[in-house]
Amino acid sequence: MIEVSGLHKSFGSHQVLRGVDLQVGDGQSMVVIGGSGSGKSVLIKHIIGLLKPDKGSVSIDGEDITGLDSRHLYEVRKKFGMLFQGAALFDSMTVWENVSFALTRSGMKPKEAKEVAVEKLRLVGLSGVEDLMPSELSGGMRKRVGLARAIAHQPRILLYDEPTTGIDPIMADAINDLIIKMREELHVTSVAITHDMQSAYKIADRIAFLYEGNIIETGTPEEIKSTANPYTKQFITGSAQGPIKIEGVELKGA
Amino acid sequence: MLILFASTLKEMIFPPFEIKNTFKQMQEVGVKSVPVVIITAVFTGMVLAFQTFTGFKRFGAEALVGTVVALSMTREMGPVLTGLVVAGRAGAAMAAELGTMRVTEQIDALETLSTSPVKYLIVPRFVSSMIMLPCLTIIADMLGILGGYAIAVWLYGMSSALYWRRAWNYLEMNDIYGGLAKACFFGAAIAIVCCYKGFYTEGGAEGVGKATTGAVVISFMTILISDYFLGAWLLK
Repeated sequence: MIEVSGLHKSFGSHQVLRGVDLQVGDGQSMVVIGGSGSGKSVLIKHIIGLLKPDKGSVSIDGEDITGLDSRHLYEVRKKFGMLFQGAALFDSMTVWENVSFALTRSGMKPKEAKEVAVEKLRLVGLSGVEDLMPSELSGGMRKRVGLARAIAHQPRILLYDEPTTGIDPIMADAINDLIIKMREELHVTSVAITHDMQSAYKIADRIAFLYEGNIIETGTPEEIKSTANPYTKQFITGSAQGPIKIEGVELKGA
Repeated sequence: MLILFASTLKEMIFPPFEIKNTFKQMQEVGVKSVPVVIITAVFTGMVLAFQTFTGFKRFGAEALVGTVVALSMTREMGPVLTGLVVAGRAGAAMAAELGTMRVTEQIDALETLSTSPVKYLIVPRFVSSMIMLPCLTIIADMLGILGGYAIAVWLYGMSSALYWRRAWNYLEMNDIYGGLAKACFFGAAIAIVCCYKGFYTEGGAEGVGKATTGAVVISFMTILISDYFLGAWLLK
């Protein structure tokens, strides 16, 4: 269970999160939607403890992680796997070394770790790439390898940072299918952040809309589709006209 | 930077030790710098011998060429030039590599995989720089003196025995140890400055460029300024 309460975070004078509350139940798939710069990445980085909040708390299975020292935080993070927007693969390592990184760090022998890596790669639909370097992979393949790395140590919670950004629509749909497969086969709790509504509707049990540092609406995909909230409505329809103003842009008739 | 230095010392003491990574960095910082250090040291020794010989000849003291070259190389030129070469070569690479890892979220990825980036990335660079700088300095000292020998003996016809006698007679072990201690300090300073600039890079490709430039400039300044104070303290 992930519980975010009253989360505030500022960078200098720029207030990014202004009291975010969010709950994600075990086995649930929560998608946080929001525009660029709305604080989605900052929120997900708080959930895994990469950032410390100015105020508020993040609890994982009832344990508040905001005050933990780095040693305890590393223990909590073993529950997590994270897929980064650009996959964040380690350039200096081969694909299998990337995937098995957490395993070899925890003492698994390289031969055994490679076998696990090959199995995880097969699970995300890749085979025969284990000895390649990340620079030899396409964008979609990098995402899959990133996902294989995220699941290699069998985490209970998976975090996805913009999983479909920067890849073509067909590959994006394949990644969505993989996210659903991970949830169904591995029974993980997942939190994804995205502004891709097609992806959000497909992978979410619940969707939360983050606007100006607050979650202003939460609901099932169906509830979000039929929302009466003008802000959410404008965002999900992708209209330039509405209460959400584009910073620095004057629109005719707006 | 002091906080990063303190974290590095703390992570260095407690296991697990990053032995494989440290050897890899020793190769990057040390072994791969050898050709540049050799060329720099040989030519510096040659220039020292050339200038000393022609200058000292005016008052009949050209026999001291060996002394000047040996003392200059061990006390100053060896450690300082090695420090500058390593800062320009390996230090820039450290800042650029860590900077790229920061902007592509690889450092965050390490954190999410329950790995301390300071232990995994910075400690091996710090330890290997502290070990390899004195090793490179020994090479630079020896080859600088040999470069001086080539000019004094082969070009100006000085007696080989005289060159070596003058070089050794006035050289004390403290000159060598002091130079190596300075090199060790320069290694630590280069690693901390360059890792700090890379580790806290912001702003994409432009940020990586700025971090790399800043790392090299600050390393150079640190080496040159600290050289005076360390020299005054260690090599009175």
